Amino acid sequence: MTTFIDYLLGGFSSGAVIALFALALVLVWRSTRIVNFAQVGQAMFTTFIALAVQVATGSWILALLAGLAAGAILGLIVYALVLRPVQRLDTSGSIIATFGVLISLQALASMIWGGDPKSFAPPVANDGLEIAGRIWPISWYDILVYVVTAVLVVALTLLFTRTSLGLSMRASAFNPEVAKLSGIRVNRMLAFGWALAGVVGAVAGVLIAPTASLSPNSFDILLIFAFTAAVVGGLDSLIGAVAFGVGTGLVLALVTGYGEAGDAPIVVLILLAITLVVRPGGAFGRGKSRAV
Amino acid sequence: MLEVKQLSVSFGAVRALDAVNLVVPRGEVTAVIGANGAGKSTLMRTLAGLVKPASGSAELDGIVITGRAPEDIVRSGMALVPEGRSTIPELTVEENLHLGGLWRPSAERKATSAEIYEMFPVLAERRRMRSDTLSGGERQQLTIGSALMCDPTCLLLDEPSLGLAPLIVTQILQLVSQLAREKNLAVLLVEQNAVTALRVATTGVIMNLGHVVRVGSAEEIAADDELRDAYLGS
Repeated sequence: MTTFIDYLLGGFSSGAVIALFALALVLVWRSTRIVNFAQVGQAMFTTFIALAVQVATGSWILALLAGLAAGAILGLIVYALVLRPVQRLDTSGSIIATFGVLISLQALASMIWGGDPKSFAPPVANDGLEIAGRIWPISWYDILVYVVTAVLVVALTLLFTRTSLGLSMRASAFNPEVAKLSGIRVNRMLAFGWALAGVVGAVAGVLIAPTASLSPNSFDILLIFAFTAAVVGGLDSLIGAVAFGVGTGLVLALVTGYGEAGDAPIVVLILLAITLVVRPGGAFGRGKSRAV
Repeated sequence: MLEVKQLSVSFGAVRALDAVNLVVPRGEVTAVIGANGAGKSTLMRTLAGLVKPASGSAELDGIVITGRAPEDIVRSGMALVPEGRSTIPELTVEENLHLGGLWRPSAERKATSAEIYEMFPVLAERRRMRSDTLSGGERQQLTIGSALMCDPTCLLLDEPSLGLAPLIVTQILQLVSQLAREKNLAVLLVEQNAVTALRVATTGVIMNLGHVVRVGSAEEIAADDELRDAYLGS
């Protein structure tokens, strides 16, 4: 039983980071109806920038802030330079363009920082805590990850449901023409959606780097997990992305714990396939929201 | 006052609007009527900035609005209520209403929305519900309310009666003419339902194949059987 609990606890922290990546995918999907496969590439790139700041200043907070700023800027650049020009094409054109961005960012990162894995020092201890005479697979760093994730999710929810900016963004996503006719600067809202997704992805990157190593390809596998969580959650739903992001983390931990670590991605992909067959709209999606 | 001067629009080789001239004074309803394909909706969409004109211009209270982006045209005081009740189903009634005035300072926006809720009590009752739970007539009230949120001086209404029961149509159109008088709005109303539209309008404009073929007082046009047979097919 304690092993089971150990596995679950371990799954929660990777789940929190997957949830953040899934949130970033949902934010982009909500604003521009594109699945941004470059999201993890952008996060990798901004995490390298954060690492450079940490090495230079020794401050984790400064590194995080640099990562956030870089995430917003890179999100805007990708949207303005790549996605806006190709959006006049069809959807598949946009998706292929995001893959192009991913590959370019990875190549660029290899050129600047090299392909060797680098370590990213955590701001607080990442060793298992000893409670009641036993060491648990949860550290102060894991707790930091939960807190940052929770704060971000609450902040995003409030932004979307309680502010004029959030309402403008939702209206621009649901019906750009009606939004324009209401006086909303739709293009600005879409760009803001990409910037916001860049920030969320950057946070995820900075949070996960200390628990693994950082290399140009180290986040690739997270793309599959985050994509699955976002799709199963309904792509439009922030709650769905978070719930299934954490859920994916738990599944991964259990499969890795009781089976082979190499089986985990396959199990997640099988879950994705089953969802697409059984509920194409996702668990939190509305199957026929636009019958008219 | 809205003044349209020699406005032309082309879609490829098709001339959808051909040198349209039009004056829409404040405080009254000007009805544009005509059969399908007469260019009525194109006129509205061009005025709202959704379609770029080939030539000509439109001025709102002396300021040229043609060539500007739709969101800037709304902000300069002209709101379009598009065809087919354009509420966003995923948003609540209140959110849909507030959409129209998000760019205004929140105190002004709240004052206007209080006024609109007073005008349409049914919207106030349902403010927290999703807008797709409203009936067709209620949804039309919501779209008009949302257009009023930008505190316009000119209102463009594209076929507000489409798909509504006759009794509701009469109510909506009476409301429109009351709005024009009480808020001193310049209202441009496009309708296929000519008889009802001319009943609330002061001036009637008949369009056919992208041309304005006749401008006159609403009574005069309503009484002209020949005109009706030729262009309205009813």
